[in-house]
Amino acid sequence: MSGNEEEPRVPSEEELAEMSRDELVELGAKLDGVELVDYNDPWPVKGTRAEKRSERLVTLWFGIGALAAVLFFVVFLWWPWQYADPGHQFLYGLYTPLVGLTLGIAVLSLGIGALVYTKRFIPHELAVQQRHDGRSDEVDRQTVLAELADAGNRSTIARRSLVKTAGGTAVGILGIGALILPLGGLIKNPWAKSQTDPKDTLRWTGWREDSKAKTVFLRKDNGKADQIELVRPGDMDAGGMQTVYPLHVPNELKQKVLEAQNDPEKLRSVLMREDSTDQRVREEAEQLWEENKEELRRVDTPVMLIRLRSSDAHKVIKRKGQETFNYGDFYAYTKICSHLGCPTSLYEQQTNRILCPCHQSQFNALEYAKPIFGPAARALAQLPIDVDPETGYLYAKGDFIEPVGPAYWERRP
Amino acid sequence: MTTNSSRTAQAQEPTVAKRAAKRSKFRRKVAGLLALAVALIAVGALYSALSPNAQTAHAAGDPATVRKGEEVYNKTCISCHGGNLDGVKDKGPTLIGVGSAAVYFQTSSGRMPMMRQEAQASRKPAALKPDEIDALMAYIETKGGGPEKPKTSGAALRGGDPSRGGELFRLNCASCHNFTGRGGSLSSGKFAPELENVSESQIYTAMQSGPQNMPKFSDRQLTPTEKKDIIGYIKSVSDGNNNPGGAALGGFGPVSEGLIVWIVGIGALVGVTLWIGAKA
Repeated sequence: MSGNEEEPRVPSEEELAEMSRDELVELGAKLDGVELVDYNDPWPVKGTRAEKRSERLVTLWFGIGALAAVLFFVVFLWWPWQYADPGHQFLYGLYTPLVGLTLGIAVLSLGIGALVYTKRFIPHELAVQQRHDGRSDEVDRQTVLAELADAGNRSTIARRSLVKTAGGTAVGILGIGALILPLGGLIKNPWAKSQTDPKDTLRWTGWREDSKAKTVFLRKDNGKADQIELVRPGDMDAGGMQTVYPLHVPNELKQKVLEAQNDPEKLRSVLMREDSTDQRVREEAEQLWEENKEELRRVDTPVMLIRLRSSDAHKVIKRKGQETFNYGDFYAYTKICSHLGCPTSLYEQQTNRILCPCHQSQFNALEYAKPIFGPAARALAQLPIDVDPETGYLYAKGDFIEPVGPAYWERRP
Repeated sequence: MTTNSSRTAQAQEPTVAKRAAKRSKFRRKVAGLLALAVALIAVGALYSALSPNAQTAHAAGDPATVRKGEEVYNKTCISCHGGNLDGVKDKGPTLIGVGSAAVYFQTSSGRMPMMRQEAQASRKPAALKPDEIDALMAYIETKGGGPEKPKTSGAALRGGDPSRGGELFRLNCASCHNFTGRGGSLSSGKFAPELENVSESQIYTAMQSGPQNMPKFSDRQLTPTEKKDIIGYIKSVSDGNNNPGGAALGGFGPVSEGLIVWIVGIGALVGVTLWIGAKA
């Protein structure tokens, strides 16, 4: 088809020098097969009142946008955003709506301003472009193919096998290197360091005893991170469940822990070694205190402490190797689902099922939290617990013997 | 009588030695019995002096109320919970030791008496009148004690620290009841109910007694103050208190909100696009 239309004449250099900008624009369009039918200035007469009004309108929208943006920063930085008690929530309740409103107005005004400018000031062109049908001419196709083949041939790569091999090797090694990044983590030996490194979270959780000089008590969360309360067996009714976290306590403090009678203030003073005048002892105690506080926020530490109803206790089936993990009717299972790690803490005290809300896995608390429904394939890890004879509080006899959550699959003997 | 005694006297006459032996045997018997009685009394006295006070505190409900409670029990509860409150197999559990808290929660929320056996008793208008509930509470309380419903009710059970109550709620309750108390599903047709329009006393007694599949939260696990803080939190996010936008959309969070935003937002975008196209 191309070639059938009247080809625009290409002007000479002198003619080009003489042409105005309008003529050049028209020529460029024509060379591309585009004809400008209508390309008029929307304001042919400059300085009319209508033009000024349009200009003011655009300015107004951009002005609103700027103002809203400033307001957005002011609200974002200085509006009271902290939680307020019910009844005093008016200003606090306005924080999110105001942030959204100011940001929204800022973006919207900019958009409207740009739109208004386009509609009022950009010429509305009407152009006609010729359509080219079918594939390129046979001449073009043959010549392009010949050029490509010629380039390949003239580079002489076809007969230089050494260069080809060297280049291929370089590219291949680079590719393998890119594969190693994601695959390397999979082929490392998870046991290599874990025997000795207590911070290896693949193998150990916060329930690990750092040394024999410390006892890991079961600590309950009473809603205040700075307060510590321990758990006695008598604290829970049959058919009760509570979430517990580890608390590492040096063994030499046990007597004082007992005397503190589970009073959060006294326990704090005991664990912070406020009786000691030795600066180093107190610094160590403070560091341990902070570490214990972090255990409340670790993902692998939450444990469901369940006290079965005595009428159900005789139905329990224990897992091989976990026969001594419970204390009487008390069973401790990790709260982290073995499927995808959701908190599986919907405990039904009559059916003794533990449900995971994410994908409806169900575990049987009477049978070492074995999955009985849903996508989970492994039982919940069970924490070995007992009562500390010196203080009467529940403590963990050791870490889980298998990983919690959807981790890898090895069990410790 | 006289003939009788003379006959025995005659029969017991054979020899003096024999008589003396018999008498001393009788004496020994009496002395032994006396000693046993004295010992028993002493042990009893010692036991009552040294034994600790009974753990179960029985409500000192006045006998008339207890009798009335027994009547209510015999009329409405006995068919499933049994004549001795020890439960009927496959129908109802034992009520010994459940305490007045459980009675108040189950009857005031209309869950008991149940209409029929089903996966779960659900909330409905109470069938028993308040004075009948009180009488039944007093009666059940005499059968083994158990958690007692608090004396106060209403706003007095709302704690002063709802933000801490919120922490405790999210830790202990939210997994089943949703973080603003909208409820949620459990296994096999059971569900955790939503906490809308539930009285403070009912929330409190539910925590104490662990109705149906809800775990029990004893006063040593969640202290009364902590329970009240939790109630304070629930009340601050339910009964229309957590609805600043005007349309709570069920309060389920991102699910319903995302759906509405998607439908309304995409709809609006399509509309605007059509409008722009029509103008052009």
